[in-house]
Amino acid sequence: MVTVDSVSFLGRSADGGVVKLLDGISFAAKAGEITAIIGPSGGGKSTLIRLINRLADPSEGRIEVGGTDIATMDPLQLRRMVALVPQKPFMFEGTVLDNLQMPFRYRHETPPAAQSGEVAEVLALARLDRELLERDGRSLSLGQQQRVGVARALITKPQVLLLDEPTSALDRRTSDGLAATLREICHGRNLTMIMVTHDLRLTEKVADYCFYLEAGRILEQGRAAELLAHPASMELKRFLAEPADQEV
Amino acid sequence: MDNQGLVNLGILDLVVAYSLVLLAIGLAKLKRIGQEAQMLWASLRMVFQLLAVGYLLHFIFAVKHPLPVLAILLVMGGFSLQVIGARIKRKMPRFYQVVGTALLVGCGGVTFVFCSLVVHYSPWYDPRYLIPLAGMIIGNSMNGASLAAERLGAEMRERREEIETALCLGASARQAAKPALRNAFRAAIMPTANTMAAMGIVSLPGMMTGQILSGTEPMVAVRYQIAIMCAITGAVAITAYLIVVQGYRSYFTKAQQLEMQ
Repeated sequence: MVTVDSVSFLGRSADGGVVKLLDGISFAAKAGEITAIIGPSGGGKSTLIRLINRLADPSEGRIEVGGTDIATMDPLQLRRMVALVPQKPFMFEGTVLDNLQMPFRYRHETPPAAQSGEVAEVLALARLDRELLERDGRSLSLGQQQRVGVARALITKPQVLLLDEPTSALDRRTSDGLAATLREICHGRNLTMIMVTHDLRLTEKVADYCFYLEAGRILEQGRAAELLAHPASMELKRFLAEPADQEV
Repeated sequence: MDNQGLVNLGILDLVVAYSLVLLAIGLAKLKRIGQEAQMLWASLRMVFQLLAVGYLLHFIFAVKHPLPVLAILLVMGGFSLQVIGARIKRKMPRFYQVVGTALLVGCGGVTFVFCSLVVHYSPWYDPRYLIPLAGMIIGNSMNGASLAAERLGAEMRERREEIETALCLGASARQAAKPALRNAFRAAIMPTANTMAAMGIVSLPGMMTGQILSGTEPMVAVRYQIAIMCAITGAVAITAYLIVVQGYRSYFTKAQQLEMQ
């Protein structure tokens, strides 16, 4: 479970000034549920999940993972519990297998072999063909790289999975497949999953809980089906009605 | 030192030599390259700076006291730090602290080992040995340090995405920055390695040439050159290593977060 309590974050604007990118954010993401963060670009969604992974620290407020304040945790241990998959996952030099083995190398653990059950499992979950294992990771399409990013995060069995636009480069069919997988993993492994997305179709399909973030503030939150069907705020109504704004 | 073969250069000889610079300036003017003023200014600076340092060394050699020798070494080190700072536009956090410490430890340590264990002259501060040897070590380390610091900064900026991805996967700051460190160190020692590889075939090194011109037996000069090249390589490597291993830390917070300016 991830609890975010009154979190604010000051960042730098394009002109170098200080700007409040997040303002008093509070929510709880439960284990076994997918929490979707939706909202227009530049609203602070990606910044928020970076804070949960401690790639940056909040200016105010606290974040707890499994009941422990992450500010008191060893950042390496935290990041081994909380995996973040960026929108464009970086592919390290080498094959897809090398990329899947990378987290184990960082932990000084023996990486799983190509024929191992762990590799087979994450390939299936991320809907990747086994033949891709020997391909250069950087030669893959962006959609394939996104799925390698998800597989690479899942292979170490994290307790929390943070996804930044996980389907932005996927076609509809692959996106639907990945959505089904995400639900399956989340419920099957009792994973806490927080997903930043513009994709309302994906949100409808997979999210249990949802909140709408705009200009660094949560304007609305609730059960996903309820929130998307009956938005209360003008901002969310406008966001849901303007598909053009939802393009990445 | 054996000076039997030494041909002393008079003022007239220097004037003739300087005429070659004037020839270069004349050619630049003729071909409208537009560098005449810079060449004239640089050549005049070279002449005055070398004359000044000649008089200073003459004075220090006469005094035979460790304090002025150490003062000269400090000025050389400080000046090299200032030169590196001026060359690098986007400096790493705590730049002067990191580079200054690396130069002090790298050059200071190697100069000490070289002078006391290899050349073992007496007294330890004899300016005839200490100043030129330390000068060569500092000068080469300055180039290595400059390359290490500049390349490290560029690598950290260019590899930001890669570094953050590694951090997300549970890498320590050092593991995440390892490719950047490796490339910065390689860039720093490459010129020294190239110089060593080409030495004696492509170029005759300055110190050796100078010693031979001043009457030293070629084999004695060669042994000095080999020894000083080893010292320079060691100093460049230690200085660059200290810059990359101390420098990368300045890009991370205590919570192993990448913090770019």
